[in-house]
Amino acid sequence: MDREQKMLLKEIMEYSFALVETALYLDTHPFDQKALSLHNDYSRKYHELVSIYQAKYGPLTNDRMSGCPWAYINGPWPWEIEFDMH
Amino acid sequence: MWIYEKKLQYPVKVYTTNPTLAQMIIEQFGGADGELSAGIRYLTQRWTMPTNQVKALLTDIGTEELAHWEIIGTIVWKLVKDAPIDQIKGTPFEAHYVNHGKSPYPHDASGVPWTAAFINSKGDPIADLHENMAAEQKARATYEWLINISDDPGVIDALRFLREREVVHFQRFGEALRIVQEEMDKKKYY
Amino acid sequence: MNGEYYGRDKTMLLARAYVPFQRIHQVYSPSEALEKGTLFPELYIPYDEKEKMLEEGKYYG
Repeated sequence: MDREQKMLLKEIMEYSFALVETALYLDTHPFDQKALSLHNDYSRKYHELVSIYQAKYGPLTNDRMSGCPWAYINGPWPWEIEFDMH
Repeated sequence: MWIYEKKLQYPVKVYTTNPTLAQMIIEQFGGADGELSAGIRYLTQRWTMPTNQVKALLTDIGTEELAHWEIIGTIVWKLVKDAPIDQIKGTPFEAHYVNHGKSPYPHDASGVPWTAAFINSKGDPIADLHENMAAEQKARATYEWLINISDDPGVIDALRFLREREVVHFQRFGEALRIVQEEMDKKKYY
Repeated sequence: MNGEYYGRDKTMLLARAYVPFQRIHQVYSPSEALEKGTLFPELYIPYDEKEKMLEEGKYYG
């Protein structure tokens, strides 16, 4: 996986993680306005990044439309990616 | 239902080849206080939880635990994938290898296979949430012991992430317990 | 309904466990959050004691 793709994927992982944190917080604090606002900002950014990534590098889920051949199966699969430490 | 996204939750980097370490890390893949136990435990308890907040929380944390199970499997695999046979022989991983090759398999560090006996679901929300809080502390402690015996900086980094998740999950289950207690108190006084 | 729970001043009952509700204040950036394992500084409780414990040989482990 080239450096540019890895960097974009890492940014997606960061926003995805932020969303997990806000989602868990909101599960027990459903009326918290600040958390809701934060969550919605992250969600917007996350979906933008995912759109960019998928357009350039292929689908992250198997429910996207595809050209031929079916791109979802393409590697690297997540456990095969060599990440660098930050 | 579940959707899979082709990415790990955390960017795992493993620097070394170390079958012995892999056999220890596998404790969190198939052990009593590991990620598979956590995921199955929380997802199993959902059906008898009394409030929407807690049904959501068990769903979301249970799902996250399966993503952690994937991270642990990845660490184990990365630690052994390049190991020549000579580096496997005479290590605790050799017994795993003769049964499963280099493929991660859900047993604990001693080879005890994963079993539903590792989890509890009483159908009682108070009991279940205490079970979950205990589980998060046990997982957190296990990660600390694993950090102590690890010498690969990438592995330690991933273990620290997973340990911190247990701290956060404990907080959330603690909040869920408060929510359930208050809900059940309300019901006593129509 | 889970109304206003931050300002609760309820009497604690016996035979119960209580974890205080977290209240969101500042958050880490997504990048720092992923690295630390949480979005919330008040929940970031790292394991720093490895070297200390191994040195002193004290406590458990």
